[in-house]
Amino acid sequence: MPETSQLPPPISPLSSGQDQPFLHFEGVGQVFKSRSGEFEALRNINLTVSRGEFVCVIGHSGCGKSTLLNMVSGFLHPTSGSVTMQGAAIESPGPDRMVVFQNYSLLPWKTVRQNVELAVKAARPELDPASSRQVVEHHLEMVHLSNAADQRPGQISGGMKQRVAIARALAVSPAVLVLDEPFGALDAITKEELQEELLAIWREQKPTVLMITHDIDEALFLADRVVMMTNGPAAGIGEILEVPFERPRRYEAIQVDPRYGQLRNHALDFLYRRFAHDVD
Amino acid sequence: MIALVVVDAEMTSLVTIDNVTQTFALQDGGQYVALKDISLEIKEGEFVSLIGHSGCGKSTLLNLLAGLTLATKGGILMDGRQVTSPGPDRMVVFQNYSLLPWQTVRQNIELAVTNVLRHLSREERRELVDKQLKTVGLSTAAEKYPRELSGGMKQRVAIARALAIQPRLLLLDEPFGALDALTRGNLQQQLMQICQEAGVTTVMVTHDVDEALLLSDRVVMLTNGPEAEIGQILNVHLPRPRQRLEVMEHPDYYQLRIELIGFLQQQRRMRERRTAVTAATPAAPSRIATVVRLGYLPGLDIAPLAMAIDSKLFDSSVVQLIPESFADWRRLEDRLVEGGLDMAITSATTPLQLNLGLGNRPGQKRTPWAAITPMTVSRNGNALCLARHLMDQGIGDRASLVEWIQDRDKPFTIGIPQHHGIAELLLRHWLTAGGLNVEEHIVFTMLSPMAMVWALRTGAIDAFCAGRYRVAEAVEDRHGYVLATDLDIWSGHPEKVLTTSEAWAAAHPDALVAICSGLMQAAARCDNSNHRDEMTRVLSQPQWLGTRSGIALTRQFKTGLGDSSPELLRFNQFHADRAHIPNRSEGTWLLTQFSRWGWCPFPTNRQELLALTYRQDICDQALVAAGFQALPAPRSTFALADGIPFNADEPIPYLKTQLQGSAPPMGHAELPAASTRQPVLIPTA
Repeated sequence: MPETSQLPPPISPLSSGQDQPFLHFEGVGQVFKSRSGEFEALRNINLTVSRGEFVCVIGHSGCGKSTLLNMVSGFLHPTSGSVTMQGAAIESPGPDRMVVFQNYSLLPWKTVRQNVELAVKAARPELDPASSRQVVEHHLEMVHLSNAADQRPGQISGGMKQRVAIARALAVSPAVLVLDEPFGALDAITKEELQEELLAIWREQKPTVLMITHDIDEALFLADRVVMMTNGPAAGIGEILEVPFERPRRYEAIQVDPRYGQLRNHALDFLYRRFAHDVD
Repeated sequence: MIALVVVDAEMTSLVTIDNVTQTFALQDGGQYVALKDISLEIKEGEFVSLIGHSGCGKSTLLNLLAGLTLATKGGILMDGRQVTSPGPDRMVVFQNYSLLPWQTVRQNIELAVTNVLRHLSREERRELVDKQLKTVGLSTAAEKYPRELSGGMKQRVAIARALAIQPRLLLLDEPFGALDALTRGNLQQQLMQICQEAGVTTVMVTHDVDEALLLSDRVVMLTNGPEAEIGQILNVHLPRPRQRLEVMEHPDYYQLRIELIGFLQQQRRMRERRTAVTAATPAAPSRIATVVRLGYLPGLDIAPLAMAIDSKLFDSSVVQLIPESFADWRRLEDRLVEGGLDMAITSATTPLQLNLGLGNRPGQKRTPWAAITPMTVSRNGNALCLARHLMDQGIGDRASLVEWIQDRDKPFTIGIPQHHGIAELLLRHWLTAGGLNVEEHIVFTMLSPMAMVWALRTGAIDAFCAGRYRVAEAVEDRHGYVLATDLDIWSGHPEKVLTTSEAWAAAHPDALVAICSGLMQAAARCDNSNHRDEMTRVLSQPQWLGTRSGIALTRQFKTGLGDSSPELLRFNQFHADRAHIPNRSEGTWLLTQFSRWGWCPFPTNRQELLALTYRQDICDQALVAAGFQALPAPRSTFALADGIPFNADEPIPYLKTQLQGSAPPMGHAELPAASTRQPVLIPTA
C-alpha cells in the first residue's frame, strides 16, 4: 500500500459528529413533466446515511435509482421533500460530491495523469504543485496505473479507463462518492480487481459512498447496507439489507460464510419474486 | 499406475473428446497452445457447461465440437465417428444471435428447416416452425423482423432455429452474455425448460456460475490459458425439474457455488502470480553453465541421481551439478529453505508441506515457502520392518499385529524418517484401515534412516518404516523382518520428488529442465533389468550406498519370514507408467490426509496450491528433452488397498468417510507470496 501519511489533508474539513445524520433524504419525491403528462419517478423516500458509510442501491431498470443519486450529486432537485448533507440542502454539484459513471467520461486528448491532474487542480487550487503532484501519483498507484500514467484513454482497456475515473474522483478527496453502475461493462476478473481497489481506497479515505448496481454479489461484497428499490412508477425503498460481514472483506471468505447464501437469496427473492419486473 | 480404476464406463457417450490439444500459429512464428490434453466424455441427453476465465479456451473447445476447427492433436468423436466439419447434427448458438436481418422471425427459422430437413413437406415444415415458435414463446412475434425484437427475444429465435432442425448436440457460446442480469435470468429459466423438453445433449460455454448451476448436469472448469486444461469437474446433483429461485434454496446450492467461485478465484490469483513471477525473472541467461546444489539422503530411491551423474546425463553446457549428501531430512529441508541448496530430492509430501508452512515436527508451523516439484523421482520402495522378537509372538500379518498392539498396555513405537512424510501417511492409513486407533496406540518417532537398524536392535523402537535398503540391512542382519511393503498399501504411490523453489525455477528454467531430463534418462535405465549390474556397480560406490547395496538390489526381496517371497518387480519404480508426472490428483490425496490427521485444515483453495506445487509443464519439457513422450497425468479415480475409490474432483466425501461422516475443518491456505527475489545464497561449508 502506498505511503499515505505525507498526503495533504482533504479540502472540506468536515465538522465532526459520527452520530449526526450525514446525508438525509426526507419525504423525497420526484415527478417529471413531459408532453405526454406527468411521470412520478420516486415517492416518499426516507433514508439516512452516516458519514463514511458504503451504501449500494439495487433495483430493476426504471426504479429511479439514478434519479435518487442525481439529487445527491446536485444535478436534480426533489419536487417534494428534501435532500440534505450535514443539515444543508444540496443545491448544486460540487467537488465535495464526485460522480463516476459507467462510461468513464475521460478527456481523450489528455493522458491518464493529466486527466487526474486537471480534476485535482480544479477542485483543490490551494495545493502547491508538489503536493498536487503527490496526490495524483498516490491515487494512480492505488489503482495500479503508475505504469500507464502517460498513455491516453484511447490506448488503454475499459477496466483501466474506469480505474482512471475512480482515481480522478477520489484524488479530489470528496466527502461523498457517487457511483452509477461503474463496473457494469467490465469482465468478471477486472470487475473484482476494481472492487478490491475501490475498497482499499475507501478504507484509506473513508468517503461516504452511494453506489448503484445490478449485481447482488457486488453489493454484498462492498456495502454496509443494501437499499432495495421497488419498481416504478412511484418507486420507493422496499427494504434495506444490513450486510454483516467484517471488514476488511475477502471475496472468497464472505462467499463461504453461511449468512451469504441467506442474504443473497433474500435479495433475489425481493427482486425476482416480490418485485419481479417483466422484461422481454 | 496399477491401482487406477476407470469409473463411469457404463453409460453410453454421445461425444468423446479424446486428448485434444489445440495450437495456433503466432505472427512472430511462435506457437500458442490454447488447449492441452483435454479428454471428456459427454453422455446422451447430458447438459455440460464449460466455465473459466476469458482466454481459457472455452470457445476454442466449442468450435472444435462444432467442427469449425480441427484439433492439432487428438480428436473428437460423435456417435463413434470423427468430427471433421460442421454438420446439422451439431448446432451452434452464438452470443450475437446471427439472425438474417431482412427476414422475419418465421423466415429465419424456416430457412434453416428447409435447408436441413428437406424430406419434410411444406405443411410439416410449417408445423415444425410453429411448434418451435410456441416452445420459445414467440408465436405472436413470428412476423416481426429482428430489429423489432429485444436482445432476449433475438436469442430465443436463435435457439428456436437451432432446435428446429433437431440436432443431436446443441452448442451454446455464452448465449446470454450480452444481456442484462434480469433478462438473462428469465431466459435461463426458459432455456432449461426447452432443453429438458427436447432432451437434447447440450454443451454451453459460460462465465456465470449461477447459470452453470441452474442448467448443468456437470460443470467442467477450465484452467487459465495458455495450455488450458480441465481443472476440475463438478457434478450438479440438484433435483430436476429446476426452478431458478428454488434451486438456490436447495441446501447444497451454495456449497456447489462456492466450489465454482473458489475455482475461478484461484485461477484469477494464479494468473496474477504468473504475471508477478514472470516479471521478476531476469533476462535470458548467458550460456554459462548454472551451478546447481542438489541435496539428497542416500537410499535406493536416489538411484537415478547416482546413475545420471555416473553416465554424465546432465548436460554440462547447461548445468554443473554439486550433489550434497545429508543424514537427516530436517537438516536437508532447512538448508533448502535457507537457500543453501538450490533443490533437493525429498519426500513426496515435502513440497506441499513447505507451501503450507507445515513443519517437520508434530504441530510445528513455519513460514510458508513457495516450493514446486517438476517431477516424481521414485515410486514405492518402502517397507514396514518389525523387530525380530515379534515374529515369535506369531505376528505375521496386519490382523495379528493390530490385535497384539491393542492387547498391550503401552504404545507401539514406530521409527519414521520424518514427520508428516509419505511413510507416516501410508502407515497411518493402513493401520487405521486394519481397525487400529493410531492416535491411541502408536508413537511415531523420527529417526535418521541410518539410525533405524540400530534403534530396532536396542529396542528403542518396535518397528520402523523406511526404504528398501535400510529394511534389507535389518533383515540381512537378522534384527528384523518385513510385515508389509507399500505395495500392500498404495501401489505406485509417489515416494521421492524433486523439490525446488518457485523463484529458482523461474530464474533457471533451462537448468531445471536439464536436471529433470538427466534424471529421467537415468530413471529409464534403473527400471531396465539389463542395467541391473551397472546400477549395482554405481550404487556400491562409497558416496552412494557403499558395498552393501548388493543386498538391496537382489531381485528377490527377502522378507525374513522364511517363505520364498513373490517377485516384487514393482517395488521400486523410477520410470514406467508415467512415473515422473507430478500428479495433482495424488497431491489432493495427500491434502486429504493432512486434514484427516488434523495437521492442517483442508484448503478451500486447493487448486491454487496444487497448481503452484505440481509443475507438469516443466515435467513435459524435460520428458521431451529426454526423448520421451510427454503424456497427460491420469485424471481417473484411484484406490488405495482399502478399496475406497478416491476421486480428486470430490475429495470432501472421501475425507468424510475417513472422519466417520463428520465434515473436515476447511480453511483458506495463505500461500507464500510469489517470490520476487532470488533465493539468498549462503556459502556451503
